[in-house]
Amino acid sequence: MEELVYDSVYLRREDFEERPDSTQEPVLFETWDPNAQYAWDAGVAIGRYLQDLKAGRLIGRHCPECDRVLIPPRMFCESCFCATDHWVPLEDTGTVLTFSRCYVTWDMVYLEDPMMPAVIEIDGAAPGMGIMHLLGDVDPDALEIGMRVEAVWKPPTDRTGAITDIAYFRPLEPAEE
Amino acid sequence: MSLLDRIQHLDDALSWKGDMPTQGRYTAGIAGERFFRAIKEDGQFLATVCLDCDITYMPPRLYCEQCFAHLDEWVEVAPAGHVHTFTVVHRDLDEQMLPEPRIVAFVVLDETDGGLVHYLDEVEPDEIYLGMAVEPVLKEKEQRQGSINDIKYFRPAGGTA
Repeated sequence: MEELVYDSVYLRREDFEERPDSTQEPVLFETWDPNAQYAWDAGVAIGRYLQDLKAGRLIGRHCPECDRVLIPPRMFCESCFCATDHWVPLEDTGTVLTFSRCYVTWDMVYLEDPMMPAVIEIDGAAPGMGIMHLLGDVDPDALEIGMRVEAVWKPPTDRTGAITDIAYFRPLEPAEE
Repeated sequence: MSLLDRIQHLDDALSWKGDMPTQGRYTAGIAGERFFRAIKEDGQFLATVCLDCDITYMPPRLYCEQCFAHLDEWVEVAPAGHVHTFTVVHRDLDEQMLPEPRIVAFVVLDETDGGLVHYLDEVEPDEIYLGMAVEPVLKEKEQRQGSINDIKYFRPAGGTA
């Protein structure tokens, strides 16, 4: 059977740009910026969690079956499939469970100083219960699993009811423990 | 119990608002590139032909959709068509009212088996009928960019109805 082979073109970034060293015109193209706004219903548990962040507090939910305290809070326990029963105020300190050093932003811009995302086990919550956040005020080479950290809150007037109301977590000095 | 009854605290109705900053780039491909460059440079409409299937593709395709043959038979077709179907658009993609309603039509080009979706102008909606003969109005050559908008719109053949 005859094999059909088509001309094919692999476009490269420079094919879209005017080049002084070339008589080749840029490829024709259209750009489109979709209006991709969305609203995500936070639900009961995350709704209150965000309101408490605005007030400078971390809160969790307690499961009556396994006795764990869950953060971020949810209205049911994913381990026992039962409703959680009450709110538990938590500390804004914790322990680094895992971390990374990130040298590119989400949209691929190189960073000289890395972002340091980490999962932080929050004091007062069940073991392994943590939230994802950024570390700061620390040498990237000094990061360690098990490092004790505390939340650095934005000033109350800058808070919006978001996880970013905590600016970042920084190492807790041994003397402060 | 309705949703509104259940929402008694601001917390209950809190939503997280976000925006996904995506950007799309559309290239017309090999056949489309040639099609738009012919409009831009020469004001010509090019089509491809499958001689075996007797189909003239508008806009031009690089392969025949019936027999999958590679098409390298390019022809210039007359800038003359007729209204296959049309509608009057009052809102933009974000549901906002347009300053003026626009008429959008599928215009079949007479010497081809295809056509273009484009605006109709220089005509009132109640004057349009299916099968109405129309012709394209192009931008001035210096303003043409190799885009479907190098055609400003289609109007009744021979000028304003």
